Amino acid sequence: MKLGLVIDLDTCVGCHACATACKEWNGASAISGPLSDYDAYGPDPSGVWFNRVRHYEVGDYPASKTINFPMSCMHCEDADCVTVCPTGASYKRADGIVLVDQDKCMGCNLCAWACPYGARELDASSGTMKKCTLCVDRIHDETLPEPERQPACVLACPAHARFFGDFDDPASQVSTLTAERGGFGLLPELGYAPVNRYLPPRTPPQVAVDASPAPPGGAAAALTRLIDAARRFAAR
Amino acid sequence: MKPAFSIVFFTVVSGAALGALALLGVIALFDLPWLSASARPVAGVVGIALALAGLASSTLHLANPRNAWRSFSRFRTSWLSREAVFSIALVGAAVVFVALLWIPVAGPLRSVFALLTIVLAWIVLVCTAMIYASLKPIRQWHTRWTPVAYVVLGHWSGALILLAIARYDASNSVRLAHLCLALAVTAVAVKWGYWRACRDERRAVTLEQAIGVAQGVHPPAAAGARSVMQARLLDAGHGGRTFLTDEFVFRLARRRRGWLLAAFWAAGIALPVLWVVGAWWQTPVVVAACLANLLGLFAERALFFADARHTVRLFHGDRRT
Repeated sequence: MKLGLVIDLDTCVGCHACATACKEWNGASAISGPLSDYDAYGPDPSGVWFNRVRHYEVGDYPASKTINFPMSCMHCEDADCVTVCPTGASYKRADGIVLVDQDKCMGCNLCAWACPYGARELDASSGTMKKCTLCVDRIHDETLPEPERQPACVLACPAHARFFGDFDDPASQVSTLTAERGGFGLLPELGYAPVNRYLPPRTPPQVAVDASPAPPGGAAAALTRLIDAARRFAAR
Repeated sequence: MKPAFSIVFFTVVSGAALGALALLGVIALFDLPWLSASARPVAGVVGIALALAGLASSTLHLANPRNAWRSFSRFRTSWLSREAVFSIALVGAAVVFVALLWIPVAGPLRSVFALLTIVLAWIVLVCTAMIYASLKPIRQWHTRWTPVAYVVLGHWSGALILLAIARYDASNSVRLAHLCLALAVTAVAVKWGYWRACRDERRAVTLEQAIGVAQGVHPPAAAGARSVMQARLLDAGHGGRTFLTDEFVFRLARRRRGWLLAAFWAAGIALPVLWVVGAWWQTPVVVAACLANLLGLFAERALFFADARHTVRLFHGDRRT
C-alpha cells in the first residue's frame, strides 16, 4: 500500500479550508494532538500546522497565473526524516504513512532539517515533533461511513482539488488522475521519492495586449501631446 | 538555518576536546617529547572536561530531553545516534586512558587505551560533521568539505590547548608549536575550499524547481511551447512567524555577517598564530589565545548555520538555495 494525496493546482482556489480542517481534526486527535497555538489572541500569534497553503505568481504578464499551493507531508518512499531520527520516534508504516511516536521523540529537530518540504513542525508545548498523519485515525476507522474514511483536508476541500487513495493500485482515482494529468512530485532530484502528486495548472490563456511602448511622461511629453492635439484641431 | 547557541557551543568545544584528546593519544602512544609526562594527565583532564561540557550543552538543544536516552537506539541509520553512542564510548575510553597516564607501570595497557581514544575521537568528530553533511536539503552542508572542516578545526583548537598546557608546564614544545602552525594553515585552506564549494551554484535549487514549474506550467505530457517560467511568492499564507520561518528563514544582517567573519579570521586564526609565532608564554596571554580561538570558532560555526539555506526557504519566497 502507498497511501497519499493528489492535489489539483488547477482547481485549488487557495481558501485554506484544508489547512483549517486539518487543524481542527488533528488538534483533537489522540495521534499527535493537540496542535498548540502560542499567543493566539496576542500581538505575535503562532502555532503548529500540518498543512500550509502558499500562493505564487508564475510566468510574466500577460501570461502570468496565480497558483495556490497547499503543502503537507509527502509521505516519501525514501523518507530521510525517518532515517536521521536517533530515537526511533519517526517511522514509516506498511501502508506508507510516516508518523512520529510522541512518546519517543526527544525534540532534536533533526528530522525537520532533513525534510526538504517543511512538513514537520516542533510543538514547543510538548517538546515533540509533529506532522501530517494522513488522518490515520479516520481513514482506517470502520465505524465511520465509508465515504468519510478520508483525510479531513480532502473532505473539507470545496473545490474538490484534493484526492486521497492508494498509489500502489493502478485503478485508484489517485493513480488514474496522476497518469491522465501528468501529476508530478516535488523536488524529485533530492531522491526522497515523495508519494503525493500535484496536478499541474492549465496554460494561462494568452490575452492580447497593446504592445506599443508606453507614452513618455514629463513636461516635454505633455507639450508634445498638446501640440498633437492642436494639430488635430487645426486639421479638422 | 538559525544558529542555536547550545549547538554552536557544543560543536566547537567538543571539537576542541576531541582534537586535544586525539593528539594527546598520539603523543602518549609514541611517547613524543612534545608534552612532558607531568603535563599529559593535566591535558587529559582538560580534554575530558571540555568533552563533557560540550555533551551537556548538546542536551540543551533538545525540546524534550527526558527522551534523550532513546537516542542510543538507532545506531544503524542515524548519524546523531552514532554520535551519541561513540561519544559515551570515547569519554569512557579517555577516562581510563588519562587515569593510566598517572600510573608509570601501565605501559602496554596505556597504549591500547591511547589508540582507542585516538580512533574514537576521530570517529565522533566525523559523526558530528556527518549529522550536517548528510542533510540533502541544505547544499551548504551536504558537501565533503563539512567533515573535513570539522576534523581540521577541532585539531587546530585542540592543539592550541595542548600547547598552552605544555608551556604552562615549561615543556620543550617547539614541535607542538610547529604542529599548531601547520594546522592553522590547513584550517585556512579548508575553510577557503568550503566557501568556494558553497559559492558554486550548480547544485542550487530554484523556486521554480521547488514548486514544479521549471518546465512551464503545462503538464509534461502535453507537447507545445514550454518556457522557463519565473515564479514569485505572493503570500506565505500566514501573517506571523512560524516554526518554519524561525528555524529555516533565518536572515543574518550583512553587517553582522561581516563582524562574524572578521571574528573568525582575527580571533580564530590570526591572534593564536601571532601568539605561537611571537612565543609570548605568560599565562594570561596563553589563556587569552586559547579563549580567542574558541570565540573565533564560535563565530565560524554561527556562520556555518546562518549561511546554510534550506530548501524550505524557497517555499517562503527565496529565489534559489
